[in-house]
Amino acid sequence: MTLVTVSNLDEVREVVNDAMADRRQVEILASGSKRALGRRCSYDLTMDLSAMTGIIDYQPEELVITLRAGTPMLEVGAALAQARQMLAFEVPDYSHLFDTSGSGTIGGVVATNLSGPRRLTVGAARDYLLGFEAISGRGEAFKSGGRVMKNVTGYDLSKLMTGSFGTLAVMDEITLKTLPSPETSCSLIVEAVDFAAAVSKISGLFATPHEPSSAAILPASLAKEAGLQESSGNDSCVIVVRLEGIPISIGNRLDNLQRLAGGYSLEAPASEALWAKIRDVKLFATPVHDVWKISCAPTDAPSLVKKIEHNHEINYFADWAGGLIWMTSDSNNLGHDLRAALATLSGGFALLVRDSGTTRHTIPPFQPLADPLLALHKRVKAAFDPLAILNAGRMHEGI
Amino acid sequence: MLMPVPDQSVIDKRDSICAKLKTLVPADCVVHSPESMRAFDADALSAYRQLPLAVVLPETVEQIAELMKWCKAAGIKVVPRGAGTSLSGGALPLADAVLLGLGKFNRILEVDYDNRCVVAQPGVTNLAITHAVQAAGFYYAPDPSSQIACSVGGNVAENSGGVHCLKYGLTTNNLLGIEMVTMDGEILRLGGKHLDAGDYDLMGVMTGSEGLLGVVSEVTLRILQKPATQRALLVGFDDTGSAGKAVGDVIAAGIIPAGMEMMDGLAINAAEDFANAGYPRSAAALIIVELDGPEVEVNVLIERVEAIMLAAGASSVKISNSEEERNLFWAGRKSAFPAVGRISPDYLCMDGTIPRRRLPDMMVRMSSLSQKYGLRVANVFHAGDGNLHPLILFDANQPGELKRAEDFGADILRSCVEMGGVLTGEHGVGVEKRDLMDIQFTEEDLKQQQRLKCAFDSDHLLNPGKVFPQLHRCAELGRLHVHKGKMPYPDIPRF
Ligand SMILES: Cc1cc2nc3c(=O)[nH]c(=O)nc-3n(C[C@H](O)[C@H](O)[C@H](O)COP(=O)(O)OP(=O)(O)OC[C@H]3O[C@@H](n4cnc5c(N)ncnc54)[C@H](O)[C@@H]3O)c2cc1C
Repeated sequence: MTLVTVSNLDEVREVVNDAMADRRQVEILASGSKRALGRRCSYDLTMDLSAMTGIIDYQPEELVITLRAGTPMLEVGAALAQARQMLAFEVPDYSHLFDTSGSGTIGGVVATNLSGPRRLTVGAARDYLLGFEAISGRGEAFKSGGRVMKNVTGYDLSKLMTGSFGTLAVMDEITLKTLPSPETSCSLIVEAVDFAAAVSKISGLFATPHEPSSAAILPASLAKEAGLQESSGNDSCVIVVRLEGIPISIGNRLDNLQRLAGGYSLEAPASEALWAKIRDVKLFATPVHDVWKISCAPTDAPSLVKKIEHNHEINYFADWAGGLIWMTSDSNNLGHDLRAALATLSGGFALLVRDSGTTRHTIPPFQPLADPLLALHKRVKAAFDPLAILNAGRMHEGI
Repeated sequence: MLMPVPDQSVIDKRDSICAKLKTLVPADCVVHSPESMRAFDADALSAYRQLPLAVVLPETVEQIAELMKWCKAAGIKVVPRGAGTSLSGGALPLADAVLLGLGKFNRILEVDYDNRCVVAQPGVTNLAITHAVQAAGFYYAPDPSSQIACSVGGNVAENSGGVHCLKYGLTTNNLLGIEMVTMDGEILRLGGKHLDAGDYDLMGVMTGSEGLLGVVSEVTLRILQKPATQRALLVGFDDTGSAGKAVGDVIAAGIIPAGMEMMDGLAINAAEDFANAGYPRSAAALIIVELDGPEVEVNVLIERVEAIMLAAGASSVKISNSEEERNLFWAGRKSAFPAVGRISPDYLCMDGTIPRRRLPDMMVRMSSLSQKYGLRVANVFHAGDGNLHPLILFDANQPGELKRAEDFGADILRSCVEMGGVLTGEHGVGVEKRDLMDIQFTEEDLKQQQRLKCAFDSDHLLNPGKVFPQLHRCAELGRLHVHKGKMPYPDIPRF
């Protein structure tokens, strides 16, 4: 396979034009940290964006940063930290799951729409992309959005590009909204009899004005491995609720929530370390099996897990107040059963994140789309990439 | 404003079309007498009026689907309409199009406190969502000033914001799911009570698509707990430049207020005459900053903001010490539009966004344009996010003044783009800004947007004549030009 390194959108366009003429399919790659995500396809050519790096413009008081697509997340994080700002959706690092190193590039983060624990309260990567420039699979340059926070001019193609896994266009000059980092944070740790009780306790905590920023649920065994105090009674789950903000506010909110729910607190360093593990799915020791990511309504999560536990030996934990479940197992057919179970609930999806063997050959990693939604997806793909040149087949067959 | 030439052959068939429509929806859901259609002939951009071919007010999603299917087959255009409060003419009827009103979709279907969301029909008003959940301490965050009237379906179509979207986001950031009907009559569900399905974010592109991609037939909205405390500061400045800088200083200090609004001298005085809110009449600029959250936090942040304002040269600072006082601070701002309506027979409300640091330049530009056109302008800004609402004062009874006001407005929007901003921050393009799109976008940008449109509506039947200055046929847009003459590649029509 040929590797072509490009350093700007003009060169990207040239590669795409050549590929159109020769009918060659192109893989879009930057650092490759998430290459294992999605369907496995073969391409004629790999276009490497990792040379397209650098921060073009960063105005902290405007809450706006514009960067080249291949800028490493380490560099982005450092620049933001210097101005005490952040990408509020918390970029996760899945290198642990993929046996890779490096935390990826901003282009990869946007293309995969991956977000961390704070997604629950402040939104996903898709909520922070303000604009971009790109070359479509037609070999044409176009832009959408802008470099300001509030903009409804024309279709919001930023939403479409986020999470499209490079199947529509090759982006550069990515503009994102930034936010000030919280001055400090802490966690409240509360026990619950079981998963269902944990979800309902969290609902209770969110029905107060005490503003938790994230909430996760760990089975007692995982909680113990993560270094949390061992449960005294017969509680099987541990709830972790994060509070962020200025110190006086956190102290006050922690007191209030503790009065309601009991439990004990974790100070900033321990709390931050725990949330990083939750964010990066490092609670599963060394994953040797498949890892699935399931998103559903929080209150559906307990019955989903119960159903699956009936037939499969699983290890799991939940984030997003129960609405995100990470599940690992060496059991066959887990994906089928997950999707079948979701269909009986109020909706959701199961994505195969880590494939430890050949699971992808037996089940599509992305949840299949039913017609007419599939047909619409294909028309959208064709509107940007009619010859299916860019990352074709990465998400769904033909898409 | 030139609208697409109506298709006379459709208009000639009006009677038989109305008869057919009555078989698709209950007969009393079709409105076709000119007198009763008057109520639908414009939205809040009332300078433009047009009677539709017929008004259809369906009652079920299946009826919408049947209607769309038939219109598609018969080649008849459809204009969706919520509450008709659009300020950009998005819901302006067309003489050869069915106006599809969502007014009968007025029920809240589910309140789900445990998952913190509400499922509602699109015709429910924005404020009704908050009313339905406030007893349990919840509210729906996006709060356009039109919230007592505008519909949540219209909010999705326009991606509406409000004074609190600086901290809580626009509609798109508070929307979890939609059900929609395509021009082909297909009913699709996108999103739901879960987050971030691993598909193309079609709900994201539907949001803000101004009724051009599909009809929203149901919404699932995220609700939040009301903050424990809300307090506001009212800050006067003697010059707008320092005021603009102060706004940036607050954000640079790591504070994101719930809202941060600014008004200029003319707006301050009009509002004060109207509302007696205690605004400093001699100030050149007024900033309202609202902070919300736990009481201890708000009290600390109020002090920090006050210090920042004084350091930036504020000439007066007042801090609200009661809900009554906080509401009074807002009373002037919230009545700014009607207040300006009293000092001028007519006004045009513009809606561009600029990078916040360009605010002082923009003020200078606006006053020189004001001189050039001989028209006054009052300014109300969502300063926190750089969204401007200049109100251009004119008298429609004076020959030529409307045109002059429109030209003035176009120049302001041109300046917004020139300063690195955009044509519209929250009111939408509609017909009002349609012909200015090429200031911000290249032809290729606009063509790519229309290709997306073609994926949803291959015959341009849904709300045509809005948003895009030029309509290209989908077959033409889909054509490919393969470069370098490497292969004698035939042009491929895609759609
Ligand atoms: C006094 C006043 C103050 C305002 N303040 C604000 C403000 O603070 N912030 C703000 O953002 N806006 C504001 N607006 C603008 C307006 O209220 C919003 O754009 C609102 O969301 C429009 O909703 P509507 O139901 O009235 O939609 P309509 O005016 O009926 O329609 C607007 C557009 O949406 C489409 N549409 C409507 N319903 C649907 C549907 N169900 N499916 C598909 N397409 C649909 C229409 O075709 C049209 O293009 C204000 C307007 C007024 C008159």
